[in-house]
Amino acid sequence: MNRLILIVILVLLVGFPAAALFLLYNLPFDNRDPAPVQPIAFQHTVHAGKMQLPCTFCHRYVERARQAGIPSLSLCMSCHRSIATEREEIKKLTSFFEAGQPVYWSRVHQLPDFIYFSHKRHIKGGVLCATCHGEVAQMEVVHQVRSLEMGWCLACHRDRGAPTDCTTCHK
Amino acid sequence: MERREFLQLLGIFSGAAILPGCGDDRSASKLVSYLVPPDEGVLPGEARYLPSTCCECPAGCGLTVRVREDRAVKLEGRPGHPVNDGGLCMRGQAALWRLYHPERLRHPLRRDADGQFQPVSWDEALTLVVEGLRQARQQGRANLLLSGRTTGTLAELQQHFCQQLEVEQLPQFEPFSHAALRQAYGILFAQPEVPHYRIDQSDLLLSLGADLFETFVSPVNYARQLSRAIKQDDFQWIHAEPHYSLTGANAGERLILLPGSEAALLCFLLVRLDAADERNRLPMQLMAALPASSLEETARLTGLPKRRLEQLAKQLRLAERPLLIVGGIATSQPQGLQVALLAGLLQQRLGMVGNRVDFSQAEAYASVGSLHDLERLTERLEQDQVGVLLVSATDPLVQAPAALDLKQKFQRAGLRVGLCDLFNESAQQFDLLLPLSHPLESWGDAVPRRGVFSLLKPAIAPLYDSRSAGEILLEILQRVGQQVQNQSYQEYLFNTWQQRFDQQQLQQFSEQGFLSLPVSAVPHQFRPEAVSSQLATTQAATATAPHLILTPSIRSFDGRSSCLPLLSELPDPLSTVSYGRWLSMAPTAARKLQLRDRDLVRISSGDWSAELPVRLQPGLAATVLMVQGDLLSEAPLPTDARSGELIRRLDGVRLTKLGGAVALAILSGSSSQQGRGLIPDPVHTQEQPLEQTRFYRAHPHKDYRWAMAIDLELCIGCGACAAACYVENNVPVVGQQDHLQGREMSWLRLAPFYDDAGRASFIPMLCQHCHNAPCEPVCPVYAAYHNAEGLNVQVYQRCVGTRYCSNNCPYKVRRFNWWQHQRQAPLEQMLNPDLSVRDRGVMEKCTFCVQRIRQARDRAQDEQRPIRDGEVLTACGQSCPTGAIVFGNLLDESSAVYRLAHSHRAYRVFADLGTEPSIYYLRKG
Repeated sequence: MNRLILIVILVLLVGFPAAALFLLYNLPFDNRDPAPVQPIAFQHTVHAGKMQLPCTFCHRYVERARQAGIPSLSLCMSCHRSIATEREEIKKLTSFFEAGQPVYWSRVHQLPDFIYFSHKRHIKGGVLCATCHGEVAQMEVVHQVRSLEMGWCLACHRDRGAPTDCTTCHK
Repeated sequence: MERREFLQLLGIFSGAAILPGCGDDRSASKLVSYLVPPDEGVLPGEARYLPSTCCECPAGCGLTVRVREDRAVKLEGRPGHPVNDGGLCMRGQAALWRLYHPERLRHPLRRDADGQFQPVSWDEALTLVVEGLRQARQQGRANLLLSGRTTGTLAELQQHFCQQLEVEQLPQFEPFSHAALRQAYGILFAQPEVPHYRIDQSDLLLSLGADLFETFVSPVNYARQLSRAIKQDDFQWIHAEPHYSLTGANAGERLILLPGSEAALLCFLLVRLDAADERNRLPMQLMAALPASSLEETARLTGLPKRRLEQLAKQLRLAERPLLIVGGIATSQPQGLQVALLAGLLQQRLGMVGNRVDFSQAEAYASVGSLHDLERLTERLEQDQVGVLLVSATDPLVQAPAALDLKQKFQRAGLRVGLCDLFNESAQQFDLLLPLSHPLESWGDAVPRRGVFSLLKPAIAPLYDSRSAGEILLEILQRVGQQVQNQSYQEYLFNTWQQRFDQQQLQQFSEQGFLSLPVSAVPHQFRPEAVSSQLATTQAATATAPHLILTPSIRSFDGRSSCLPLLSELPDPLSTVSYGRWLSMAPTAARKLQLRDRDLVRISSGDWSAELPVRLQPGLAATVLMVQGDLLSEAPLPTDARSGELIRRLDGVRLTKLGGAVALAILSGSSSQQGRGLIPDPVHTQEQPLEQTRFYRAHPHKDYRWAMAIDLELCIGCGACAAACYVENNVPVVGQQDHLQGREMSWLRLAPFYDDAGRASFIPMLCQHCHNAPCEPVCPVYAAYHNAEGLNVQVYQRCVGTRYCSNNCPYKVRRFNWWQHQRQAPLEQMLNPDLSVRDRGVMEKCTFCVQRIRQARDRAQDEQRPIRDGEVLTACGQSCPTGAIVFGNLLDESSAVYRLAHSHRAYRVFADLGTEPSIYYLRKG
C-alpha cells in the first residue's frame, strides 16, 4: 500500500511536469495563420513565376541590409500605372497609392524580437531565398514552409560551418 | 477538500502559470510598405549617423545621432569636433530623455478665463502674440524677450525680430553667467568675454574654484585638453577650492582654502611674482593699491602652510607655460570680482594673455547678462511696465534666486508667452505656451566659441506639433509683414550660411557637422589704470564658520537637466547619492555632532531653514558644508552688487541635529577600499602573486579575444561612461524605491574610494569578462557561458533567475531584473533595437557591447577583412571625455589594448583570485 502511494507521488512529481513540458512544446500554441490573407492579393506566381522577375527586383535591400525590404508602392506603380490597370487588385493598389496610404501587409515569416537576423549575411553566404522561404514562385498564397525554430537554424549553421555561438543570433 | 479536487485545482493552476509564457507578441505582425523609397544610402533596419549639436548645456558639443527607423536612439560625441572631439558628458547622453520626455508639450496651449490650459492651433496662438504685442505698444508698455544663451543665426534672428517689432531684447539669462569673469576681463583688457583656455598648451595649471569637469563653460573640452596635458611628463595641476569638487578630486594636488580667501591667495602670488622678475613689471601705482599681503597674513587667511604658499609662488615662477583659471565658486562670492581681477592681473603678469588665455576664440558669452538684469526685470514687472513677456528656452522662474521673488512678480506682465519644451510647473505660469521642438528635430546652428560653427540638422521628424524658436520668430515676423512670406526657417538658415561660408566651407559644414574658421587675433590692451580703484576694497574678510557652499552639479548643471530621469538614476560621483538631496559634511565635523550618513539635520540662516540628511564627505574641510545648488534653490542667496553674480555661499549657518534618519539612496557600499587593493597602492604592488591552481581548462581563442584597458590616470570619475551604457544597452531606470533596496541596474558603476587624507580615486567597475569566470560554472542552465572570443555571455532566454551567478561574482557587477520595468510612453521609442529588453526574473550585465562587435564584424565580412583595431568602440569608451577606456583584440599584438595591457602600469582587479579578467586597469604613475 505504502509502496503504491509512493509510486503515485513519484508519478505525480515527475510525470506531471514532464507531461506539462511535453504539451508545452508539442501543442500547437502558435495560433498564427500560416498563410494570412493579404490586403492585396499579390501574386508571386505571376511576378516571380511567370514573369520570372528576380526576388531582388522588389526586395531590393536583401543583398545590402538586414531586412529584405518590401517594395515601395511607387515601385509597384512604376509598372502598374499602365499594366493590368483594370484588375480589381490593381485598383486597390492604385487607390492606396493615390490616397498616400501605405499597405499593411501581413507578416508570413516572423522571428522573435530577441533574434538578430541579417538577410545580407545569408545571401552573401550563398544561401538561396528558397532555403528558408520555399518555392515562393509557385505559391498562390505565400505561406511559411520552414519552422524557423532555433534547432532548424542551428542544423543548417552546423552543416555549413556557420557560427553557432549564442551571440551570433541572440541579442 | 477532496484529494481529487485538490489535484484538479493543482492542474489548473500549474497550467495557468505556464500558459502566459507561451503566446508571443503579435502586435508586430504587419509589414508596412514605403510609399516612395527612402534616399539612396538609407537602408531599413540599418542605423544612420547624423551630425547635430548638443543643447543640454551652453557648451555646444558636437553630436553624432544614431537614427534607427526615424527614431534617434543614441547620442555620441562627434569625433574631431573642436569642442568635444568625440567625448560626451552624462548630461549630453541623457539629452535623449528630453526628446522623448512624457511631459513634452504636444501643441500650443492657452490659458482660458478659468485658468485652465486649452489647446489652440498655431495660427490662433501666433495671432494672440501679434495682437498682444500690438496692444502693449498702444498701451505704452514694453514688450520683452528673455532667452537663455543663444548663439549663431538664431541670435541674429532674435535681434532682427526685436528691432522690427519694437521688442526689447533683455540680456540672455544663464545662472552660470560668468559675469564676474567677463566684467574683470572687460576692465582689464577691454574684452568682456570668457576666453578660451588652452590647457593642453600649459605645463602648470593652477585652477581656483573653477569646476572644469562639472559645469564650467565647456567641461568636455577641458577634460579632453587635460587628458592630453596629463600625458606630458612635466605637467602639473594644482586646484585650490574651499569645498570638494570632482575637479579638485582629480587635480594633481588639491589645496583646501578657507572660504573667501581666494583673493588673498592671488594677492600674495601677484606681489611675490611681480617682485621676482624685473621684466614686464606691473605699474607701481597698481601694486601699491593691493592690500599688504605678507606671508604670515596670507597663511592665516587661506589656511595654507607658509611653506606651501612659497612653493606655489616658486612653481608658478619656474613654469614655462603656466595657466591660471578662476571661476565657479571662486567668483560666486562677495569678493568674486576682485578674484577675477587679480587673476586677470596674474595672467597678464605671467604672460598667459593672448596665448593660453585666448580672447580671439572667446566663448560666446558676450550677450549673456547677469542677475542685475533680472533684478531690473522684476522692478519693471512691479511697476506694470511690461506688456508681452516672451520667455524662450530658459527657466528663470526656477533658476532665479529665491530672493528676487520672480514667480510672484511674473504674474504682472500683460501676456506671458513661454517658448518651452516641457509642461512642468514653471510652464504653467504662462498664459500662452508655444511648444519648442527638440534640437534633434530642428534646423539651426550654434557658435559655442568664436570661429567654431556647429550644425543642427533634424535627425528625426518632430514628434509633436512643435516648432523651433527660429521658426516661431520668423513666422511672427512674416505675420506682421516684416519678412519675406513663405520663407521657411530652413531657407533662412541656408541663405545666412551661403552668405557666411564659401562653397567649400558650406560643403564641409553640412558633411562633418561643424566648421572651424580661422579667427583673427584680437589685440588686447592692458589697462592697469582702470583696475586700481576696483581693487581698493580688496580686503580679506574672515567669514564666520560654518559655511554652506552651494555647488554646481555635474548631473543637473544649474538644475535645468534635473528633469531627465537618467540623471537622477546616476549617482553623484563624489557622494554616490542618486535620488534625493543631501548635505555633505566632513567626517570630523560629523563626529563632533555624532552624526552618521542619512541622519537628519536642520540647517538655518536668518529665518530660512531646511532639513536635510547628512552624507559624510571625506576630504571636505571641517568648517564647510556642501549642498548641490539646484537641490536647495530656496536658499536665501544674495546677489553680488558689483558683478551681478549669485553669491553661492552662506556664512555662519546654524546646524542642528534633529535625531532620526531618512532613507537616502547611497550607492557606494564603502568610501574606503578596506585594504582590498582594487586600486593598488604601493603595498599591494610589492605583494608576491599567489601561486595559482587551475581547475578549468583554458579557453581557446582563434582570431579575437576582446579585452578592455582602463587608464585610471585619465579616468576622472565623471560618469559619462555609465550614462552612455544606460542609453546604449536599454538599461532600465528603476527609480528611488529600487535604489533604496540596492536594486540599481547600472551595468557600469564608478566607485570613488577615499584614502585617509580624503583624496579620491575612481575606478569604473563593470563585468570583467573573466577568463575563468566564477559566474559560469554555477549557472544551472548554462545561461552564463564563455564564448570563443573571450566574452562572458549571458543568454537571457536561458536564464531562469537563480541569481547564483551574481552571488558568485567577486566584482558584483551582475544585475537582476526584479520587475518588468515599465517605460512611460513615448520613452520606449529610444530603445536600442539592436538588443533585447530584458524581462522580469532575468540576470543581465555588461556585454562588452556585443551588438557593436557584431556590427563591426558585419562590416568587416562585407569587405572580407578582419576587424580593425579601434573599429569596435564600446559605448562607454566612445563617450569617455578623456579617452580612458580602450577596447580591442588582445590577440592582435599591434592593437592599442595589447600595448596597454602589457604596460608596466597594468594590473587586474583581484588578480589573485585567478579569475583572469579581460579588463586591464592602468594604475596611476
